Amino acid sequence: MPKRLRLSELIGEIDDVIQDRFAGETFWITAEITDVKKQADKRWCFLKFIEKEGNLIIAEIKGVFWSNSYSSVLQFEKLSGQTFANGLEITCNVRVRFHKRFGIDLEVLEIDHTYALGKLEQEKQQTLDRLVKENPKVIRIVDGQYFTSNKSLELPIVLQRIALVTAPDSDGQRDFKQEITNNPYGYAFLVTEFLTQIQGDNSSNLIIQKLKQIEAEKENFDVVAIVRGGGSQTDFKPFDDYELSKYVASFPLPILTGIGHDRNTSIVDLMARQHKTPTKVAGTIVEHNFNFESEIIELKDRLLLTTERMIDKAKDNLLQMKRTVKAYSPLTILNKGYAIITSNDQIIIDPKDIKPNSEIKTILKNEVIHSTVTKKSKNELDL
Amino acid sequence: MNLTYNQAYSELSKLVDQIEDDKIQLDTLAEKVKQAKELIDYCETRLRLIDKDVEVALVDKKPKKKGK
Repeated sequence: MPKRLRLSELIGEIDDVIQDRFAGETFWITAEITDVKKQADKRWCFLKFIEKEGNLIIAEIKGVFWSNSYSSVLQFEKLSGQTFANGLEITCNVRVRFHKRFGIDLEVLEIDHTYALGKLEQEKQQTLDRLVKENPKVIRIVDGQYFTSNKSLELPIVLQRIALVTAPDSDGQRDFKQEITNNPYGYAFLVTEFLTQIQGDNSSNLIIQKLKQIEAEKENFDVVAIVRGGGSQTDFKPFDDYELSKYVASFPLPILTGIGHDRNTSIVDLMARQHKTPTKVAGTIVEHNFNFESEIIELKDRLLLTTERMIDKAKDNLLQMKRTVKAYSPLTILNKGYAIITSNDQIIIDPKDIKPNSEIKTILKNEVIHSTVTKKSKNELDL
Repeated sequence: MNLTYNQAYSELSKLVDQIEDDKIQLDTLAEKVKQAKELIDYCETRLRLIDKDVEVALVDKKPKKKGK
């Protein structure tokens, strides 16, 4: 009869072995995480570390962040602009623990942020490279700047009919609408909202669907605004998605983004016109219209100035003509002591037309003198 | 009047250019100034009212000018 152990005795021995080997020691590991369950209220995070070969999981172990290392998770999200979620590859410092009831797991002490960020940056760069490579007609890179069909679309001279893509009841939605509605110039806007979840799994597909709806009635819009509020909840991942970025790059209406993150620029931002925050997107639209109105006002000023000048000039001309007419008027001449001589009601210009004995009239200022010519002689006045 | 902003703007700049041209006749000036003013009104009103309201506002302003 072999010796029978109680379960607790066997597990106790396992515990001893593990304690002997691992007590007080920590290890750095790099692994993919999955089954991430955060309990923000308790500041705990449970997960699994896995290693794959192809699609096959060849190693797996439970992991946990307790409250003293939970800040590492929050800091990761802050720095990366991504949710700490399934599928990430992280490097972290762990301690092997064994519990007689719950088994073996790895307690995470800290995350190597440099590695995690580097990895994300690398993934992002891969997506960008792929976008450029697979869509050469739509996306080009020149001197480190991304040029897309969407970015090169000319903005309509006035932006008034706006398709707004954002999350329902979000800060972004509120900030944008407030800035647009309370614009200082009293401009009117027609904002049509396309509301969708914009964080978390599948968000990029939901955003694509909303954009498709907009494209189906594109003649009804001048511009598309994609906005989301900033704040601590920062999940950028949907905006680094290949399919969404590709669609944005070739979208037929100009897209302005206000995705609200200071440190990070998403790929969607690079494919469209980036304005950082919802408020800035709205402000840009308002200013765009103000520029148009300024040009109208300038034309109006030119118009008024020219018309005034033309009317003044016409008045001057008229006055000048009046003076000339007056100067040459017979009345003016008569007033100066000159006379007009007529014969047979014809004004005499050439004295040869007057013979002695003819009847002439000498017209002076107030009276006419009738006379008969008795004699003609040469004019010897020195004029 | 049912113009795009682009049409209104280019029409207006054309008128102002013509008006600024010294060769313009005084008797055609009045008509051109009137047209230009209508375009300015149109743009300024439309910037502040959305489509349907614009028609109403402009019709109210010039009740006799329906055909244009």
